[in-house]
Amino acid sequence: MSDNILEIKDLVVHFETDDGIVKAINGLNFNIRREKTLGLVGETGAGKTTTALSVLNLVPDPPGKIKSGTIMLDGKDVLHMTDKELEEMRGNDVAMIFQDPMTALNPVMTVGDQIAESIELHQHVSGKEAFEKAKEMLKMVGISESRAYDYPHQFSGGMRQRVVIAIALACEPKLLLADEPTTALDVTIQAQVLDMMKDLIVRRQMSMLLITHDLGVVADVCDDVAVMYAGRIVEIGTADEVFNATRHPYTEGLFDSLPNLKARGEELVPIKGLMPDPMNLPEGCTFYPRCPYATDACKAKEPQLYHMGGTHYVACTAYQDPNFRLRRNSNG
Amino acid sequence: MAENEKKILLEVDHLTKYFTTPKGQLHAVDGVSFQLEEGKTLGIVGESGCGKSTTGRSVLKLIEPTAGKLIFDGEDITKYSKSKMRKLRTEMTMIFQDPFSSLDPRQSVMQLISEPIREHKLLRGNDAIEQRTLELMDTVGLARRFVNAYPHELDGGRRQRIGIARALAVNPKLVVCDEPVSALDVSIQAQILNLLKQLQKDIGLTYIFITHDLSVVKYFSDDIAVMYLGQMVEKASADELFANPMHPYTQALLSAIPIPVVGKDKPQRRLIRGEITSPVNLPDQCRFMKRCDACQECCKEGKNPELREVAPGHFVACHCVK
Repeated sequence: MSDNILEIKDLVVHFETDDGIVKAINGLNFNIRREKTLGLVGETGAGKTTTALSVLNLVPDPPGKIKSGTIMLDGKDVLHMTDKELEEMRGNDVAMIFQDPMTALNPVMTVGDQIAESIELHQHVSGKEAFEKAKEMLKMVGISESRAYDYPHQFSGGMRQRVVIAIALACEPKLLLADEPTTALDVTIQAQVLDMMKDLIVRRQMSMLLITHDLGVVADVCDDVAVMYAGRIVEIGTADEVFNATRHPYTEGLFDSLPNLKARGEELVPIKGLMPDPMNLPEGCTFYPRCPYATDACKAKEPQLYHMGGTHYVACTAYQDPNFRLRRNSNG
Repeated sequence: MAENEKKILLEVDHLTKYFTTPKGQLHAVDGVSFQLEEGKTLGIVGESGCGKSTTGRSVLKLIEPTAGKLIFDGEDITKYSKSKMRKLRTEMTMIFQDPFSSLDPRQSVMQLISEPIREHKLLRGNDAIEQRTLELMDTVGLARRFVNAYPHELDGGRRQRIGIARALAVNPKLVVCDEPVSALDVSIQAQILNLLKQLQKDIGLTYIFITHDLSVVKYFSDDIAVMYLGQMVEKASADELFANPMHPYTQALLSAIPIPVVGKDKPQRRLIRGEITSPVNLPDQCRFMKRCDACQECCKEGKNPELREVAPGHFVACHCVK
């Protein structure tokens, strides 16, 4: 058995629209270790959600096309599964939770029935048994069993997200894909939900892909971190490596834009410019037009992956020079 | 006026807004008072439903307050009629959260930014108005080539710049910013925050900055007020509040911010239990009691605590803080 629950290799996903080809994912490589949580960080349009949808082979086609690459889930190739195998895999092996808990739930079905539905479907048990299990799941996410007969609108945002998590975990998946699971919640509720998710992942020996734009959430929850930019991983490593020995200029830019670590009155250092148009990506390194360290070499060719020790890799041409250091690392 | 004399631009005294619902009185804002000095920023933080947006809108009288007193620039505007308020709309204005839904999709950038100028008849003649629009675009860092673009052609950061330009078009003194950066990515968020800060320095704007994001508010505000269920529970200067939070709710709120630090420097989390209770038909007792760890006998028997000054400039509403 491989050490990784998920292995993505050279994945390319394009959306072919009337206006042109949107290059959402361009040669993506990363693995998720068993029973570990990987945080996938990046801004709007980096391709984070498309990555998660690819793992489920759910990229909307048309216009989406998985052009090449392999996705190995627990040793099985997701991209070459039959429809029946895919159906088995979704829900049983991999479950996904979405950002907005209101749109993910059916408003005219009680939450108990909604949890029971997926149990009945995937585990082939009777309706009654499934409903009993659903109540157990509710208890597990910290909601009293008696509320199984309530409808989604009777719950608050945080409670709804707990219900969505209960549905996702009902069939005991090996891998959980969580797409911005707490972004729509208040901070105190976010802390409660994250705490619960962390606990459940450990107790049920699951792995998780946590998609977020919030580096604070990553620091709280994740073992490993992958930073994504324009459809590629630009830096990957353990949380300690990426946070305490940051190597990529884009990752540094993300940290510098955050107000929480700064003293008051100090000017924030935003990353200049905007995310490139995925229909018209720059040549060479896609970050080069926004990068404060860019040289002509960056424009000339796509950066290769440099090994920084441990499990830490960075895609930046500047590391051709072994003495190159980011500003963040140069002063202590 | 002497150099060091402070000018109070806005004074809010026991501002109250109740909404009548089928279940009873909804206490959206319940006796909020503060003073705002010219050229300064007051940050209002709290979770969804704490009444921070209603406070911001009531101050501008976009929502008619139920009770309380509003003094703007030395004048009592509490009883001002709609037409009288209309003149004041050039002095107090607002920036909204969502740059996607707050702009008319059928207007070009030129029309959007010049609309307030035409509406308030601040300038005459198309040439002058167009000139001023282009200047405003420069001020907010929006390239002039976008002058004929429509909102859907622009990204969130640029749309928010249009929103800011519209607010600035009337030369306001007070700007209420309601979650101005919440819908934006961090790198764009930093650009917009820097812009707002620069504008304050250049034209001496006064801000009320409403947000749920404590790290943004710390960076941005001079004073911070924390709201819970329609009331201010703590108010202090930004540095004081973060260094020495006294109200149990403020402490829990600060501890809940996810800090992007990994390793031994990572601070310990303190979880807060339960969720915000319903603001309908509230009893006269501490509103945070059910979620509070510090809660004692005196809290259960006592009335709703008033905001008291416990240290110079530091106000707290809690029975347990001595």
